[in-house]
Amino acid sequence: MEKEKLETLLIDYIDGKLNNTERHDVEQLLVADTEAFKTYEQLKVVIHAMQASAKMEPTARLKRGFEQMLLEEEIALKKGRVVLFQPSFYRVAAAIAFVVLGGAIAYIIARQNQQSKQIKETLMTMLDNQNSASQRVLGATVAYNDIERADDEIVNALVNAMNEDPNTNVRLAALEALGKFRSQPHVRKALVASLTTQKDPVVQIALIRLMVEMKEKDITNELEKISTDEESIQAVKDEAQAGILRLS
Amino acid sequence: MTDEWIMEAVKRGELQQASLLFERYNKRIFNFLARMTMDRELAEDLTQNVFLRIIKYRTSYKEGARFQSWIYQVARNVFSDHYQANKNRFSDFVDVEKVSDYMADNQESEMWDEREKLLHRSMARLGDEQRELLVLTRFQQMKYEEVAQIMNTTVANIKVKVHRAIAKLREHYFELEKT
Repeated sequence: MEKEKLETLLIDYIDGKLNNTERHDVEQLLVADTEAFKTYEQLKVVIHAMQASAKMEPTARLKRGFEQMLLEEEIALKKGRVVLFQPSFYRVAAAIAFVVLGGAIAYIIARQNQQSKQIKETLMTMLDNQNSASQRVLGATVAYNDIERADDEIVNALVNAMNEDPNTNVRLAALEALGKFRSQPHVRKALVASLTTQKDPVVQIALIRLMVEMKEKDITNELEKISTDEESIQAVKDEAQAGILRLS
Repeated sequence: MTDEWIMEAVKRGELQQASLLFERYNKRIFNFLARMTMDRELAEDLTQNVFLRIIKYRTSYKEGARFQSWIYQVARNVFSDHYQANKNRFSDFVDVEKVSDYMADNQESEMWDEREKLLHRSMARLGDEQRELLVLTRFQQMKYEEVAQIMNTTVANIKVKVHRAIAKLREHYFELEKT
């Protein structure tokens, strides 16, 4: 029998795909022909080896990478859809952040409910991360969730992020975090000051809403300026107008 | 909840649901890519890419299409895109010497008997197409019908090619065994 024909027949035999008659014929052949038998044995070896081959495990890195990527895609999706600030999203992101942050940080948070040096250090490192915007976002959300009282250093880092970070999502997350500490006077001051310098419309709108919520009447003058400023986009001007009305 | 149902939710924008698909498929896709590339770390990166594409190109998922076929198609594309990008004419075949390093991590290398090592060195000697067919049908135990769908061809065609690949594998295996 021609080589390829024999091999295919033997493979089907090994796979149990032949009917009774065909099986019988093959068995006869194997008994009679030692070469054919050798081929059969060898095919059996490789086929069984493939079947029995161990499954490999990916490392934990794969899952972490996936979760990070998913978070970034969700942020991108929200940003694409809606220009306006949605606080609820960051609560979800914070919840996801707990998963993404990993065991060490979750452990620290679980052990110490009040502000601790370790949390602060982690937070500062994350906010400082040059390479990853999502790390900086997470840094801000850690601030939001786990710090009870923001000391000057944290406030400065967050204000800096809110004013200077090139990534809008980071700025928004920092603003959200600062909002939490609004009762602290130096935070209020920083927020008011930011209003005069903030040029990112998404952040401007969020900031105006926050200040209105805080009933910060001091900003009325600034809002006037913004609502008439040629350089502001319409959405920001509208928000400023609405703010003036609410505060009056 | 079927894979298809979940993917349709992802398509509608419920990206979180993709986590379920990740749970269900990450090991399989990783194993497929690891056996194709013979490089675990690379396989993890490429697996990540597969899921990124699933999410980014979610709108291209056709309603009612078989999800498993789709994700494997994406995986195949990721694999071939990687080698296109890193066009290295000399490595149409994997570097056989490095295979043992790539394949075994510290814990598993003791477990790996001679037979497994021989098997993987033999697999490394096959061309991509043959290796892929064996990985899908024999390592991942996919039916010929499913593989035919993934590769957009007939069952008969797949069967002939798989048999040829097995025959080739046998040749390499027993050649290597002698050395």
